[in-house]
Amino acid sequence: MTTLLTGATGYLGAAVLERSLEYGGRNIRCLVRPGASRAHLLALQSRHGRGAIEIMEGTLTRRRDVERALVGVQLVMHLAASLRGAAADIFLNTVVGSQNLYDAIAHSAVHRLVTTSSLSVYDLCDVPTAALVKESTALDPHPERRDAYTHSKIRQEQLLGALVMRPGVACIVLRPGPLYGRGGTPLPSRIGLRFPGFLLQLGGGAPLPLSYIDNCAEAVRLAAFDTRVPPGAYNVVDDAMPTASEYLARYRREVRPLRVVRLPFAGTELLAQLNESSHRASRGQIPLLLTPYRARNMWRGHRYDTTRLIVAGWRPPVPTDEALDLAFGVWRDGQRGGSSAPAMVSR
Amino acid sequence: MLRVAVVGCGKAGENHVREICTLPGARVVALCDIEPLMAEQLSDRYSIARHYGVFETMLAEERPDVVHVATPPQSHVALSRLALDRGSHVVIEKPLTLEYASAESLVQHALHRQRKLTIGHGYHFDPICLSMRRMIADGQLGEPVHVESFMGYAMDGQFGTPVFADSGHWVHGLPGKLVHNIIDHLLNKVMEFVQGDHPTIVAHAMQRLQRDNPAFAMPDEVRIMLSDARVSAYATFSAHARPVGHHLTVYGTRNTMRLDFVAGTLTLQSTSSVPGAVGRVVATLDQSWQHLRAGGANVARIARGDFQYMTGLRTLFERFYDCVRDGTPPPIPYGEILRLSAITDQVFAQFGAERRHSA
Repeated sequence: MTTLLTGATGYLGAAVLERSLEYGGRNIRCLVRPGASRAHLLALQSRHGRGAIEIMEGTLTRRRDVERALVGVQLVMHLAASLRGAAADIFLNTVVGSQNLYDAIAHSAVHRLVTTSSLSVYDLCDVPTAALVKESTALDPHPERRDAYTHSKIRQEQLLGALVMRPGVACIVLRPGPLYGRGGTPLPSRIGLRFPGFLLQLGGGAPLPLSYIDNCAEAVRLAAFDTRVPPGAYNVVDDAMPTASEYLARYRREVRPLRVVRLPFAGTELLAQLNESSHRASRGQIPLLLTPYRARNMWRGHRYDTTRLIVAGWRPPVPTDEALDLAFGVWRDGQRGGSSAPAMVSR
Repeated sequence: MLRVAVVGCGKAGENHVREICTLPGARVVALCDIEPLMAEQLSDRYSIARHYGVFETMLAEERPDVVHVATPPQSHVALSRLALDRGSHVVIEKPLTLEYASAESLVQHALHRQRKLTIGHGYHFDPICLSMRRMIADGQLGEPVHVESFMGYAMDGQFGTPVFADSGHWVHGLPGKLVHNIIDHLLNKVMEFVQGDHPTIVAHAMQRLQRDNPAFAMPDEVRIMLSDARVSAYATFSAHARPVGHHLTVYGTRNTMRLDFVAGTLTLQSTSSVPGAVGRVVATLDQSWQHLRAGGANVARIARGDFQYMTGLRTLFERFYDCVRDGTPPPIPYGEILRLSAITDQVFAQFGAERRHSA
């Protein structure tokens, strides 16, 4: 069986590839953009052999590249996405690229597609915080009111709807929280916003919905290679996570001092209103970091249900306590060594 | 109210839409992109009523007064001609076309159709450029002697990153590659001072950063010297100098003007009337005072909501719409657009000759 992996040079994609190879995965075709660094892929290729990894140059935004990449493929792990940059580029790479892939899959021999989305795609404005957010919760009907990344992820999921309706292709969508671990930065926007000299901690005291990189990679591997995992959407969040306050206290204790200004949700909403109105009044000169709409969806302290993925067989390989120890250890060593850690992936 | 349509919904298209939406006399009625999803996202984010994936359909159904062409330059001629044929006036992103011959043909076509055309030289209408022209008209510069235009570029920035992620990016298809997409902003500031159709040109291009992938080989440092009988100019494009600057210095027979497009400041350097060491201190204090005043003026502009980076683009659109409504000449004379296009051709011809010589 030939597998197509998109996003293999990304944070999650690299972890998924390594994990898949550890579990004996073969014939994994990695579609790599011409400008992407492929040193890691070449190292894996020399370790596991050319039969394990095929590196194919191309981009999802060109249909002929996508069609070429799907020749002989039965399984697709679609992890490519743009996380930063201009809104147009994020949308082009994530949404247009996905549309090209889904169109091509509909005319190919692919019978299984696993893709990653984000926990932030839900419409949580009117969902009480006491309720667990299940996969059946509706997607945000106004993605254009969210940040560019979330907008693209919601639209990407909507586009998948047409493919889901097609018989013969099992589609699985994994919705992880922000990824943490080695190679990740420790302070995602779920915790708050970074300003020079301090962090503005937003939202309530619910457990942080984060996903350890190896645990999320295992969820992708399982969904891809274990055909007993039924089609549909799955939340991917580590269990027993600390609250944002507990997490930040540990960060300040173990990694480095950090001035934190804690804002309860009422204050967050007020600040968001001020930001939105000042952005409008200044005709865009004051950057729009927060809106009340985004705040209600992101920082009210919702909890996410992962029962569905656990029932499907997901066993996080790294328990949360150990994952946090590992992550904080890496960040602490990074501080001591003076090296800066690459960015955490906010989902 | 002018009915405006925009074709091309990438970063440049969004800049156009954002600025048009601030103008009281115009309304964006439709957007178009060859990728309908791109048109959709921009229309959702800016509440534009309609969007299209086929340009001809948009022209037929919307009949816009003005079409903004914000697509990659390779498609400018075909889209602009079509819009002109359907009776629309056109605003075209820079560079106008890939070479002089097609630029001239396009301008002739606009004249033939009795429609108007302009190019997205927003910095030409930046408030500090407008101030500079007023001060020159007041005689504060004297006669121009020499001009220096500098543009920095961040290859890992918002515009550079997509170019170096994909060897199929449209920038790689331009005759002058990366520099071709920038050169209008670099040269049009000096062409204002260097007169005539045939200035002396000496152009030199370098590739400072050698890349593993030959598909990404392109000049990333460019120096161009131009001169006529009275004025010389030096234009620098640098992808490596930091901070990423964008400025213009105009040396005159009376004073020297320095325009900083990042900070939004214009300062005047004068010969100190106080002799000796005190005079040097006075000159420094004078510069500090001018920067303080310019900073204060910019604070006032922020308070008025008028300190966006694209303010010049808005002014250009406003003036172009005025000329469409009033039947007056367009804000950028066609002769200037074509002169720049011809000089751009000569610059790239020299780069080509230089490359062949070194090979």
